[in-house]
Amino acid sequence: MALSEAEIGRFARQVLLPGLGEEGQERLRAARVRVAGGGPGTAPALLYLAAAGVGTLWIDDPDAVAPGDGAGFMFDTSDVGRPRAVAAAEAVRAASGLVQADVPRPGAKPTAVLVSAPTQEVSRAVAEEARLLGLPHVVVEVDGQGGAVTVVPAGAPCYACAVRPGLGAEPTPAGAATVGALAALELVLLAAGVAEEPRGRRVEVFRGTPLTRATARQPGCACAAGAVPAT
Amino acid sequence: MTAPLRSAPRVANPVARLDIRDLACPLTWVRTSVALGRIRPGEVLEVLLREGEPLENIPRTAAEEGHLILRLERAPGEGEGVWRAWLARRAREEEGRWP
Repeated sequence: MALSEAEIGRFARQVLLPGLGEEGQERLRAARVRVAGGGPGTAPALLYLAAAGVGTLWIDDPDAVAPGDGAGFMFDTSDVGRPRAVAAAEAVRAASGLVQADVPRPGAKPTAVLVSAPTQEVSRAVAEEARLLGLPHVVVEVDGQGGAVTVVPAGAPCYACAVRPGLGAEPTPAGAATVGALAALELVLLAAGVAEEPRGRRVEVFRGTPLTRATARQPGCACAAGAVPAT
Repeated sequence: MTAPLRSAPRVANPVARLDIRDLACPLTWVRTSVALGRIRPGEVLEVLLREGEPLENIPRTAAEEGHLILRLERAPGEGEGVWRAWLARRAREEEGRWP
């Protein structure tokens, strides 16, 4: 279905980007993205995904809003103690009336996953779950003033093949904003079908300087066997 | 009205019409770009636009993007300072891609 006048106005600048156009924006509207994990990159990533026109966001986060989450852009001090997924969904809907944001419902079938967990260990588990379902996914890690974003299109080398230990520094709001926004952009590129053959890559950002490398499959990794197709 | 050159290609009639007289930049080009995306390569879009920014930018940007400007003329019947542009959509292989 063609974009409405309101959608054209809202996403005007983005629609003009080469390779995106109205068709790419329509694909974004049709995308159903599961945002999994309550890592510090979640809030900025959610806001940028909504701002880009992703149609459905399912926020999968089992924890409650903590006092320190106020630095995560979308929570007020009055939200402390509330389920973080519920509060985040409300904040996303307030930011854009064109997005459906909610907690995951039974039987929900995402088309892509953004993994934003507090630790690499949890990220590995969630990313592997997405890979086995054949879902393209992007993993964001906040580390001090920067962090890393790993892009895993369907069939690409898995997150476990790409990840490297970070500094283990305490996440900062600026670091979360930097890599959270970058992760949202990478997911938008995947969901909009901009690249004909998207490839796996990992972007590591340290003090504002990005270092990008193509990911490679580790010898013997199970991801070489491919995914179990999503049903 | 001048007679067409003997070597000029046949110009198809527009398959769609767009009125951007009441819009301002960037929506003038946004709406034009979306409308061009809704027709097939080689088909023609007629655009009604005003003098000033739209007249300066729309034909130039369309040409930069690889579309053909088939006709650009005053449209006195559509109001003062109104122009009519016929734009033919570029071929798909000429469309740009994000890096």
